[in-house]
Amino acid sequence: MRDVPPVSGPKVWRSLAEYQDSEAFGAMLKAEFPSIFELWLVDRRQLLSVMGASLALAGLSGCKPVRSDDVVPFVNRPEGFLEGRADHYATAVLLDGFAQPVIATTSAGRPIKLDGNPEHPAFRGGSTPFMQAAILDLYDPDRSQAPLAGGHSASWAEFDAQMTRWRNAWAASKGAGLRILIGPTTSPTLLRQIGELRAALPQARVHLCDPLSGYAGEAPPPLRPKLEAARLAVSLDDDWLGPGPSQAIHARAWGDRHGDVPAEERLHLFAAETTPTLTGAKADSRLAIPPSRLGSLAAAIGAEVGVAGARVTLTETELAWARQVSKALLMNRGRSLLTVGAHAPPELQTLAVEVNRKLGNIGQTCAIAAPLGFVPQAGESFLDLARDIAARHVSALFVLGANPVYAAPGDLGFARLYASVPLRVHAGLHVDETAAISNWHLPLPHALEDWSDARSPDGLATIIQPVVRPMYDSRSLHEIVAGFTSDQPPTAQTLVRQSWARQLADDSAWTAALKIGVVQSPAPQSLSRPGGLSLQKGLPLPRDDEIEIVFRPDPTIRDGSFANNGWLQELPKPLFKTTWDNVVALSPALARELDISSGDMLRVESGGRAVEGPAWVLPGQPPRVVTLFLGYGRTRAGRIGTDIGYDAYQLRSAAAPWTATGTVRPTGTTAMLATTQEHHMLDAEGAGVVRTVNPDHPSARLESDADQDSFYPRWPEGKPAWGMVIDLDRCIGCNACAVACQAENNVPVVGKDQVHKGREMAWLRVDRYYAGEPEDPETYFQPVPCMHCEQAPCEMGCPVHATVHSPEGLNLMVYNRCIGTRTCSSYCPYKVRRFNWFDYTTDEPESLAAQRNPDVTVRGRGVMEKCSYCIQRIEAATVKADIEERAVRDGEVVTACQQACPAKAISFGNLADKASEVAGRRSSPRNYALLAELGTRPRTTYLARVALEDDV
Amino acid sequence: MATRTPALPLDQSLHDITTDIGRIPLRFPARIPWLIAFILSLALLTLFLASITYLFARGVGIWGLNIPVNWAFAIHLYVWWLGLGHAGTLISAMLLLMGQDWRNSLNRFAEAMTVCAVICAGMEPIIHLGRPWFLYWMFPYPATMGVWPQFRSPLEWDIWAVLTYLTVSIIFWYIGLVPDLATVRDRAKKRGWQLFFGIFALGWRGSARHWAVWQKTYRTIAAIAVPLVVSVHSEVSLLFASGQIPGWHSTIFPPYFVLGAAYSGFAMVAMIAVVMRHTFRLGDIVTERHLDVLAKVTLAMGMMTAYGYVFEVFDGYYSGNAHEIATIHDRFFGIYAWSFWGAVIFNFIPLQGLWLRSVRRNPVLLFLIATSSVIGMWLERYMILVTSLYKDFLPSSFGHYTPTFWDWSTYIGMLGLFMTPFLLFVRYLPSISIFEDKEVLAREKEEAGRG
Repeated sequence: MRDVPPVSGPKVWRSLAEYQDSEAFGAMLKAEFPSIFELWLVDRRQLLSVMGASLALAGLSGCKPVRSDDVVPFVNRPEGFLEGRADHYATAVLLDGFAQPVIATTSAGRPIKLDGNPEHPAFRGGSTPFMQAAILDLYDPDRSQAPLAGGHSASWAEFDAQMTRWRNAWAASKGAGLRILIGPTTSPTLLRQIGELRAALPQARVHLCDPLSGYAGEAPPPLRPKLEAARLAVSLDDDWLGPGPSQAIHARAWGDRHGDVPAEERLHLFAAETTPTLTGAKADSRLAIPPSRLGSLAAAIGAEVGVAGARVTLTETELAWARQVSKALLMNRGRSLLTVGAHAPPELQTLAVEVNRKLGNIGQTCAIAAPLGFVPQAGESFLDLARDIAARHVSALFVLGANPVYAAPGDLGFARLYASVPLRVHAGLHVDETAAISNWHLPLPHALEDWSDARSPDGLATIIQPVVRPMYDSRSLHEIVAGFTSDQPPTAQTLVRQSWARQLADDSAWTAALKIGVVQSPAPQSLSRPGGLSLQKGLPLPRDDEIEIVFRPDPTIRDGSFANNGWLQELPKPLFKTTWDNVVALSPALARELDISSGDMLRVESGGRAVEGPAWVLPGQPPRVVTLFLGYGRTRAGRIGTDIGYDAYQLRSAAAPWTATGTVRPTGTTAMLATTQEHHMLDAEGAGVVRTVNPDHPSARLESDADQDSFYPRWPEGKPAWGMVIDLDRCIGCNACAVACQAENNVPVVGKDQVHKGREMAWLRVDRYYAGEPEDPETYFQPVPCMHCEQAPCEMGCPVHATVHSPEGLNLMVYNRCIGTRTCSSYCPYKVRRFNWFDYTTDEPESLAAQRNPDVTVRGRGVMEKCSYCIQRIEAATVKADIEERAVRDGEVVTACQQACPAKAISFGNLADKASEVAGRRSSPRNYALLAELGTRPRTTYLARVALEDDV
Repeated sequence: MATRTPALPLDQSLHDITTDIGRIPLRFPARIPWLIAFILSLALLTLFLASITYLFARGVGIWGLNIPVNWAFAIHLYVWWLGLGHAGTLISAMLLLMGQDWRNSLNRFAEAMTVCAVICAGMEPIIHLGRPWFLYWMFPYPATMGVWPQFRSPLEWDIWAVLTYLTVSIIFWYIGLVPDLATVRDRAKKRGWQLFFGIFALGWRGSARHWAVWQKTYRTIAAIAVPLVVSVHSEVSLLFASGQIPGWHSTIFPPYFVLGAAYSGFAMVAMIAVVMRHTFRLGDIVTERHLDVLAKVTLAMGMMTAYGYVFEVFDGYYSGNAHEIATIHDRFFGIYAWSFWGAVIFNFIPLQGLWLRSVRRNPVLLFLIATSSVIGMWLERYMILVTSLYKDFLPSSFGHYTPTFWDWSTYIGMLGLFMTPFLLFVRYLPSISIFEDKEVLAREKEEAGRG
């Protein structure tokens, strides 16, 4: 608003209200904000409330705090507020409707970082990439900012006026024709509200749109694993270490049972999978199997352990594997666990329950649990909704927190169906594909902006408390739902409080629950026995000329809801290391048959529909199976996520959303894939990069590791001597560390083109290596931050002392001294340095600047940067210790990657303190330094992965 | 020594030499070709200025650089330009002190070429900086923060090496030019030329005292310049050898680089000699014997460079180091194998023709062979830089490098930065040493008279 205060001139104004009534303001408004101008013509008074939101935004776009009560500069500092001091709040963000309990760090009222809540008994501080990246969604500049009616700006008052009319009609008809479509949710408050809504409007129906559980009202898997009690886990296409709401929980259990644990406490893992996953990568024994034979495999195992089986058709290898697994299961009765993927058919789910029951595992390593989230009742699945719309039973459809126009399976033609509903109301964070063809769009607040509650996958609830005032003119989902029956809906806070009136009656209990971030409420009751067992229904076998198609959520974009998140777009997919794209994964054998290589475009056809995507030759993929990844091909995701990748939903069917059969052929064109790591099997050159030990050879040391003579004196071991140890046996390759690093250290997103050129900025990368045969490879992950070499080649190269060594052993990067010769990076054997080839930050949308960590410099053009061991955290701890006149204690400095790691694979601390955790880990025989033969004496070292003999 | 053939034909008078060379700046013989060349080089210079303007506005990201190949054209051309310049100093200073008379027909333009090449070379590390406006931080000036440059860094030595080299080259070239400037001054008919040459001739009258002081100064500067022949490129090689990157980390690098530099430099001098000889019809001054000697030295330097190639490969295998061996294999068979085999073919195959006297004395063939060598050395510098960086140690960090439009435009434009001053030199200054050639001729005539 460039001409708000006129310096001189005949027309003066005394207040903003007066000014905003002026014609000059109208002209400016028409030129600058045409959509608001329309509103201005209608009601100038009302405009003030809209402008209020914009003014709050103006505060956001500057360096000022976001919280509107802080927008006014301090005259008297609010009590308890200290500029520069970070505050922490326990709350949760959502993934697939499940709570991901977090501690939100805020600085000057701005949330700047999310980390796992260490008080949460299941998560215990673990993070996932989604949890870490949720903060960026809060500042997404493309979020919906005000209600839209027919695509034009509207006000909540207008919506409320309409709602009153509709409400009266529903009250009369008991809700006939009203349908509500919600996204996956575990919110006890929302579930309560839905219950109340059903009671008040018995004719209305509530449907579920959850592309990751299916469209036909499938029940969620009844087994809830308790891995901490298991000695042997068998996964049948269940990627429990992979991306998902439980990843951090399972990863922690994994980490606790790996690394330097006694052999008898080690968790052994067998995995059969239809497409390579993190679980398969970490398994002691892995079997690639096409989805059509997975049921047979399960049945074979079932038969071996004594559960009534079915006819099986398996290859020799598969049969041998099934026998081996069964033997191991039988040897570990009561301490083993067999799980099947959430996308497996119900018969397999039941079989898994029966196998575990037979082995006496239920109650030990797993429980049978009632669903935590919303489960549609009979006739309320997504498929039912589509049928009802087609039959013209639906007069009003409220889509709340879902995007069905994008996420519906291709065989439903849902966009057309949706458009035929007379009244379409959409509530969401973005003006997405569904909003675009709705009569009304209502902005929802981000999880960090308003009150709610949710359950984490272990069953515990978290009260979601806002850590920042809503930035936009949004309204909580709870308030919108309450509006169906009440003309004066209470606030979301009141609604949530009401839900917990019994458990958290008094204020102190309520406050305590908020503080700790967990409600110690009983998990919903366990089910004793799920439905009967029938294994007769197998999957349709593909014809000879057909291949099997597997659908999976994208590893970083999930079902598409993270499409506009730059961190997650640029995060390399754990196994492919591609960014900004989804791929069509296929086996090396099939690639040979089609005579294609990674990047060549493939046309995949099934059921008369087709998609085209870039091939990715994936070692370990079953030979005649291709995997398609959901989440891309968005047409209205925002400036980042729109029009990239292919839309795999188009090929999905509502009846069998996870598998299909079809054909695949190359189109003859090649796509540009932005990968951060190329396809290299480990050969002589890579020898010693990732190492394994086994009980016969417990030491990871190689002859070439021996200290070499040097002309230079050793770096004096100062106190403290910072160092890091990364346990490759614990690491599951989930990338949480990489996103945490990006969030903590203001690492910019550079875009697909730059990544393609090899200019990604990640300070911490997770390298993926393969060894062995491409058909059945060993997969290794190796997080690589700066090694902080004691004899750092980079320091010697810099002509201006821009990279120097600290007395505490840190390899420092002095940004404002750097002139950009890049010698340091040329000399770095680990290639961990990143260069600002362009100015990557100035042109970023302004709202993103609010996320930046104020303790970390934002780097300008032409400057080298790299991992600093989170020096800002080291300094903060040192200052605190100095004030208290003591040394920094072990565990007081936690780096961002270490904090995020759900498997506790990363430890950091003072190597000079022999009692510290990091010194302890470094003294393990598994400890080795990367490229030790170069004599760089890295401060970051690795613990070798443990390989076991086959018989467990 | 005594029986060698004369460097200059004895059937010319001292006056002929003065006329032959002195006429060039005063009554330029090849106006049209010169004008065409000059316009072309100005066009290239404009391209260069446009490229670096865009470069400074956007950042070095306009080039094809990345991690791991974060050095490419700018550094590779830095080495290449500096190498081209080498012959100038070698011919001027070292051969002067060694009393090699034949150098006197070549040294002036070789020195000028050196100055132009060193200017280009000096530009490269500056424009390749991420923040070139802070270049001055590489100098030990009394900064308020008390920070000094880091003297362990080969880049710091670079700055000093290049600046020293540039300074010494210019001084040496200018001092050598003074007596000739006086000659041209005396022969100039127009007032403007008289003034121009008069000012730069520094009042030279050719007195015995002048000659005595001049001889002392010239030889002293030559003595200072001689170590630079070896040191500058040794230092440049350390820019690579100091890093641990396979393919760089080798003690053979300093001599290997110096010989390669001298090789490309002599080839460049041979190219210029052939062109000038033809354009200005200087067959009596730059004789076939000169070409013959140039070719012999080029051949010798080329063969020593080839020895460097052989030993680099041998060292790699002999080390038994998996990374070194992988890099050698990559050079042989990897995606940049064209640069290795290109370097081998361009550098060493045509070169073998120089074993034949008839080829050595054939200006056209010599020109072609020299061009091949200059291209070969260009490829070699590219090969050393890129094939080492793109695959270093960790397979996860392997990358690629493809030059962009701006890489090429900066490089090709820089040819304009080289050609423009050189063409001005040829046009306006005595491009071959008059008095030194006369000195040679006089002595030869004397010897002939005695013999």
